[in-house]
Amino acid sequence: MEKQNLLEIRNLKKYFSTPRGELHAVDNVSFDIERGKTIGVVGESGCGKSTLGKTLMRLHDPTSGEVRYKGEDIASMPLSVFKKKYRADIQMIFQDPYASLDPRMNVIQLIEEPVRVNSKDLGKEEIRKKAREMMELVGLAKRLENSYPHELDGGRRQRIGIARALSLNPEFIVCDEPVSALDVSIQAQILNLLQDLQRERGLTYLFITHDMSVVRHISDDIAVMYLGQLIEKCPAGEIFKNTIHPYSRALLSAIPIPNVHEKRERMVLKGELTSPIDPKKCCRFAARCPYATDQCLETEPALREMRPGHFVACHGAEKFLS
Amino acid sequence: MSDNLLSVRELVIHYETDEEVVEAVNNISFDLKKGEILGLVGETGAGKTTTALGIMGLLPPKVANVISGSVELDGNDLLRMTDRQMRKIRGKRISMIFQDPMTALNPVKTVGDQISEVVLLHDRCSKAEALRRAQEMLGMVGIVPERYRDYPHQFSGGMKQRIVIAIALACRPDLLIADEPTTALDVTIQAQILDMMRNLQKENGTSMILITHDLGVVAEMCDHCAVMYAGELVEYGTVEAVFDHPKHPYTEALYRSIPSLDKDVERLHVIPGMVTDPASLPAYCSFADRCGDACGMCRTLDPKVLDLGGGHTVKCLKYTSKWEGKTDGKTESA
Repeated sequence: MEKQNLLEIRNLKKYFSTPRGELHAVDNVSFDIERGKTIGVVGESGCGKSTLGKTLMRLHDPTSGEVRYKGEDIASMPLSVFKKKYRADIQMIFQDPYASLDPRMNVIQLIEEPVRVNSKDLGKEEIRKKAREMMELVGLAKRLENSYPHELDGGRRQRIGIARALSLNPEFIVCDEPVSALDVSIQAQILNLLQDLQRERGLTYLFITHDMSVVRHISDDIAVMYLGQLIEKCPAGEIFKNTIHPYSRALLSAIPIPNVHEKRERMVLKGELTSPIDPKKCCRFAARCPYATDQCLETEPALREMRPGHFVACHGAEKFLS
Repeated sequence: MSDNLLSVRELVIHYETDEEVVEAVNNISFDLKKGEILGLVGETGAGKTTTALGIMGLLPPKVANVISGSVELDGNDLLRMTDRQMRKIRGKRISMIFQDPMTALNPVKTVGDQISEVVLLHDRCSKAEALRRAQEMLGMVGIVPERYRDYPHQFSGGMKQRIVIAIALACRPDLLIADEPTTALDVTIQAQILDMMRNLQKENGTSMILITHDLGVVAEMCDHCAVMYAGELVEYGTVEAVFDHPKHPYTEALYRSIPSLDKDVERLHVIPGMVTDPASLPAYCSFADRCGDACGMCRTLDPKVLDLGGGHTVKCLKYTSKWEGKTDGKTESA
């Protein structure tokens, strides 16, 4: 089968107005998501990765830009049309499975809810049947039907979140840090489940996380964001071997690895994220970048393809090609 | 004379409510030498924080009960001290850093006041001197000393955690207990904080207990590593021993469940079953029901802690003559 893009994102912007100016949460981001693949989005808190996910599924209205879903621009259509036509197709799994579930609903009610809201012509029995199917699919035992979220552990709560998202037979799922709140042994269960579901149902994921080992495990492509911008995008295997952007390299070198013999040269970044409010027209990483030149402080680098499929936004990218 | 700063012996802590007794810490013993960093790892509910609070004497009164055991600091049992005596030790000789820096600071006091508060409490000195110390501490953790007049909300998450560390180290304690000090932070900020903690530890010779669930952090920071499961210390040893030759099936399983940064794995290893409920622990090995190596004897006996040589201890039947070999019948369930 030929490569097929499920989503094409072009110059997507989402600004928030704050008393101190425009906050550039997502700034001019363009990339494609291939059908049946997983794109991992990484970056520090505040880099705009969650806003990007929410904007893609219209939980935020984009400031400008296009999001073409199967060729149709879903960013500019009226929200009511989007909801009717695509809400079921594009679903989201949230980070905190406890905060995203109504504490007064039990498991079966929670999973029935999205089905009830989105397919009004289904009868009670059919809805229940669908919800039970979903429970089985995500590995929730039938005896848990009448349990409430507070009685369950984090892993099971996240399974409810996944069941809710899947109950509408979506094609594209935005996973916003779905395993960050979980212990490693539970994290492994959920990651395996997500991969199995992808294989069985041909799902496409946008996987948002700050955990580089998780993202490498689950993704086909990885996009690195910094202060609202996409600064590097390449196949998952490539980023750990041939990282180009200095920020990506710093991010990678900061990860502690569970191996006592591997002492790596660490690139510790000075300072913290600069403000995303009314940023200057220059490379946003320049202030923290050890290789910054005058050019970096004057003009904004564009995303360039340095190797096949490997895009980088850095003036000095040639220097870092290893 | 022993060079142990802290020695915990057979510590047992229970939480008691009307409905149930939660056996949070079950018979754990370990030593900490001067200047050493011990990593305490385990999943949620393993009893890591309870152990730390037990050492600090900060367990919630009435609910938590120290059933037995001792916690000796330089030979003096902290568990037998009065509240008054403990207050002199806490903050002065032992300090603790909590996971969430956002809630550990008082929002209506300047950070300078919050640091000098500790100094005034423990060292006889003037307010001006205490404030000078506070500024010095700020400088030490990499914050411009002039910012001592700022309030917590004016700082970012990473800087707040630095301030919390400055408070903890203000009286130059002998022992610092850090409970998930970087879990709420981004990796780049985590790297800064860990670097700083390591440098401060080297300069001052502070001993440290680092509680974390991140095995990577342990590998980078610690000399020794203690793995906890269901309130028990299932494995203890130097980080080299525990990371290169993990002996307890739980430790091994934990390694295999982390996605690797440099190896491609098709599927992650999953530890079957659920974390054992500390409110209803079995009379036998508490990991047996999830263990791939468990035999009939594992579901009968509670193994003793065994020294495998070189101070590497493990609490598992596998290394005794009683083990009958693997029995099958494990299924993956959620």
